[in-house]
Amino acid sequence: MKILIVEDEKELSDGIATYLKGEDYICEAASDFNTALEKIDVYDYDCILLDITIPGGNGLDLLRELKANNKMDGVLIISAKNSLDDKVTGLTLGADDYLSKPFHLSELSARVAAIIRRKNFDGNNLLIFENITIDSRAKTVTIKNKVLDLTRKEYELLLYFVSNKNRVISKNAIAEHLWGDDMEGNNDFIYTHIKNLRKKLTDAGDSDYIKSVYGMGYKFSIT
Amino acid sequence: MKLLSKYNSVNLVATIIVLLLSAVFYYFFIEAALIHQLDKSLVGEERELTDYAKENNQLPEPSNSKDEKELYTLTAEKVINRKFSTVDLFNHKHDETISYRQLEFPVNAAGKLYKVDVLKSQEETEDLVQLILQITLAIVLLLLISLFLINRFILGKLWKPFNSTLQQIKQFNLSGKDEVHLELTNINEFTELNNAVSLMTKRVSQDYDEIKNFTENASHEIQTPLAIIKSKLELLSQSENLNEEQMNFIQSISETTNRLSKLNQSLILLTKIDNKQFRETEEVDISELALHHLNNYEELLHAKNITVIKNIEPNLKLVMNENLAEILIINLVTNAIKHNINNGSIQIKISRNTFSVTNTGMELESEPSELFERFKKDKVNSDSLGLGLSIVKKICERYGYEITYHYSGLLHTTTINFLS
Repeated sequence: MKILIVEDEKELSDGIATYLKGEDYICEAASDFNTALEKIDVYDYDCILLDITIPGGNGLDLLRELKANNKMDGVLIISAKNSLDDKVTGLTLGADDYLSKPFHLSELSARVAAIIRRKNFDGNNLLIFENITIDSRAKTVTIKNKVLDLTRKEYELLLYFVSNKNRVISKNAIAEHLWGDDMEGNNDFIYTHIKNLRKKLTDAGDSDYIKSVYGMGYKFSIT
Repeated sequence: MKLLSKYNSVNLVATIIVLLLSAVFYYFFIEAALIHQLDKSLVGEERELTDYAKENNQLPEPSNSKDEKELYTLTAEKVINRKFSTVDLFNHKHDETISYRQLEFPVNAAGKLYKVDVLKSQEETEDLVQLILQITLAIVLLLLISLFLINRFILGKLWKPFNSTLQQIKQFNLSGKDEVHLELTNINEFTELNNAVSLMTKRVSQDYDEIKNFTENASHEIQTPLAIIKSKLELLSQSENLNEEQMNFIQSISETTNRLSKLNQSLILLTKIDNKQFRETEEVDISELALHHLNNYEELLHAKNITVIKNIEPNLKLVMNENLAEILIINLVTNAIKHNINNGSIQIKISRNTFSVTNTGMELESEPSELFERFKKDKVNSDSLGLGLSIVKKICERYGYEITYHYSGLLHTTTINFLS
């Protein structure tokens, strides 16, 4: 999977690349408009992370260029301008998603994975982690061919975990993912959800993948 | 007082004073001139009479008309002073008192000394003076009428460009996209005013845009370093060899960063509402929106074992900005959840024109009215920014809704009345 990060802040771009490389993505970075334009013209990417304010031009123009050339690259706008206008314009122009800065890398990674899954028209909507199979189109989870009965939030939580497997995910990131940033700070709610999800997974005969990381959050991993 | 009436009153008083003064002046001047004229003709009579007496050695037949009288009086006095005077005589025929100008002089006729009085009526003179007075009064009256008419019809028209400019200034709205449209006028003062106004509004709009851009850019500049800090922290937390203390530090920095970024976003939102951005409005179904968001927090409510009582009348529709409507409802609902207790309850009531949220909670420690102020928190709770309710209030103010908070027996009720 190839990802292009169009972002002028090198530190941020590096951070994103480091995180995504852990998910086996190949990341390239473009820090200005022209570099990005060249890369977009020459290569195909599975997903492009697009900042709107970049030196030399506007990220939205890159999006227009992509669409004008009928490129199928997925586009996730990452902008510090939490301005609704940009969001609406971006999505109308054909961006797949919009994430405002600052974001959790785990959230970014989950969104990128979702975009790539959606772009994958070949029917591969299945996410597999050990015994767990998630069908992201039908929104069902099966363990050893048994369908798991999950609530909507539990499903989202599991998907989030699997998209960020082997990573420490902060409680804040989870809360924000499940309820938006308005519910941030009420992280004690998460505990109940984790507990329920963990119970459903172990009841279905799977092992307990959700590890508590003291003081920080949770980690979804075999070990 | 209107400039016009002020100017008019000064103008009018001055005009009337000048007119009256000039009338008085006329009166005396013309009276003096006419009397001088009369005196001259009396002198003529005198000469005629003296000449007649010299030639004929007798006095002519005295005339005694209403206009002119001659009186001869035989006198024993040696010396008779020649003198002019004014006398009032009663005229029996006309039954009126008439003023006469009289010249008294001595005439020698047939060796006798006569005192002759020649009188000429001043009636004409008085008539003339009266006429002058009447004309003056008529002019004053005419002046008043013309001023009134000018005020009424012409000046109103003359000031129209000014009034229209004033109206434009009153309606001028910074966050509005519309510029001021000033009426063209050929009056220099108004043209100058219009030029100044359009220059000023243009400059103000420019400054405002600059500030807006600055706010937006500043937020951009703040969010980017925050994003970097956040991403680095997340990467750092992936390290394998962290000890407990380090993990706590990371967690604490991460939470503080979140707060900072949330604070920044909330302040930007408040500023935006203040600046009357979010202008687009549409019909928003509040009932549906409330149900949707309640649904979204279903598991949260379940986790805290909070009972939700929905008393929602369908189809409460308001014309407002959809984003603001959403923020309004999310803030109220999440507030009710955040500040609730385990096994508590939330009652959401939507009727024709009101929306109210009642929730169980802790005892209130601060003044209820202070809760809507920025950065007011009831308790020292680091999770809360103290901006939620001020955002709600700001949105209500924007649309003229009335928001009230009521607290009794551990029950907190926030009510919005859309009809006020």
